[in-house]
Amino acid sequence: MYGFNMGLDKYLLKPVADGYKFITPNFMQTGVTNFFNNLKGINVVLNDLLQGKFEQSASDLGRFTTNSTIGLLGLFDVATDLGLQQNVEDFGQTLAVWGVNQGPYLVLPVLGPTTLRDGGGIVLDKAANPGSYVPGTGIIEGINERANAEGALNFIDEAALDPYVFTRESFLQYRNNLINDGKTDADTFDLDIDEAMEDDGQMASASKKKIKTGSDPVDTQDKLASETLKTENATVEAFDSMSKSFDDALLEFEQASAKMDTISEKRRYKRRR
Amino acid sequence: MTMLRKIYFGFSFLMVFCLSSLAMAEELTARQVVEAFQDQLIDVMRQGKELGFKGRYDKLDAAVKKSHDLPKIARIVVGKQWEELTPEQQAKLEEVFSELSVSAYAHNFKEFSGESFSFVSEEETGRGGVVVHTNLKIPGEKDVKFDYMMKKKDDSWQIINIIADGVSDLALKRSDYTSVLNREGFDKLIAKINEKIESYAKQ
Repeated sequence: MYGFNMGLDKYLLKPVADGYKFITPNFMQTGVTNFFNNLKGINVVLNDLLQGKFEQSASDLGRFTTNSTIGLLGLFDVATDLGLQQNVEDFGQTLAVWGVNQGPYLVLPVLGPTTLRDGGGIVLDKAANPGSYVPGTGIIEGINERANAEGALNFIDEAALDPYVFTRESFLQYRNNLINDGKTDADTFDLDIDEAMEDDGQMASASKKKIKTGSDPVDTQDKLASETLKTENATVEAFDSMSKSFDDALLEFEQASAKMDTISEKRRYKRRR
Repeated sequence: MTMLRKIYFGFSFLMVFCLSSLAMAEELTARQVVEAFQDQLIDVMRQGKELGFKGRYDKLDAAVKKSHDLPKIARIVVGKQWEELTPEQQAKLEEVFSELSVSAYAHNFKEFSGESFSFVSEEETGRGGVVVHTNLKIPGEKDVKFDYMMKKKDDSWQIINIIADGVSDLALKRSDYTSVLNREGFDKLIAKINEKIESYAKQ
């Protein structure tokens, strides 16, 4: 699915978004972005309340009313200049605050990376967004969102060795940060590093133990070691097969698009004749 | 002659004394290390266009290597696999990883449009590390939170992880690198890193 989305993006969404960026003046793009952001305002206030963030909900309600009136239906983001910062809240986050598990990571067609929990949230988000009830706005919103995501997508392209894994990891971390509202516990910073260091430590202590204990308990330790190795191998294998199937899908898609290219080229050739 | 020798010795003592006190003075706090590095970044951004990629790379090379514990980061990003690499492979990984890190900085911080870093707070972690919280202000855009995880190495503080708006660079790289390493092996990992270095240098 990831490969399909990337192909779709490369051959359809990116050209359309690039065209949109090319023909529309900058101030209009900002206006369109502001407009759709403002429509999400109702949803943000609703989710503030559902998460028990009453102070923030007051500020977000103020934001929505200011931008909808003085900001001419949200085309201008006056509220930010007045000091009412935009908050990002949605049903996915509310479900997380309520204790719903994240569930598996999913890559949906067109919509892209999400989790089972966030996927459920998206349905409610759409229902609470007035824009969803006006036909055609979804397409404009989508084009605009793709145009705004240009920077992030370029960054993935530039930095990732394995774009699928890179996207998954950064998406999950980004969502977690939104759920926690950017609050972090200092000790969580240790976790990443400790995990790596503990691996080292365990290896070192394991080898030390072997030297200390001498001959008899070595057997059991070796058994243990080989068992853990086995389980590790199993997970690695599972991961391998999964990523292989992704690769295959990507490959198929590339082949298909290569065919499309040749077909269109032939057509062009014929036309010229 | 003896007189001269005495003066000479006196001078050398003085020199040693001065140098050692200089060395003492150079021992910076975690916050100072981060701020010195951020100043250098902003400085390079200001001259970004005139310097070009090569110029930015040369200026940042020393700054990044001094403030980041790159060997340790390179080690963490490949996880458990580190132990299975030969010493030559470990050295190779450290080398290309350093080059990639400096290239990424030289590529991502290439122009200046009024950005500035500001210190927010500092806190100690349970295991003797320090987290320095800072904000990157970009005019007309939302602030980006930059949190630096610092560890002490040989009496000086060094950056070991950067968390930008809650996304941990180390965790991200770790999944990315171990995935390539598990599926495609060491040589492919190095080849891919080299590809990235090349594409950073091009733009």
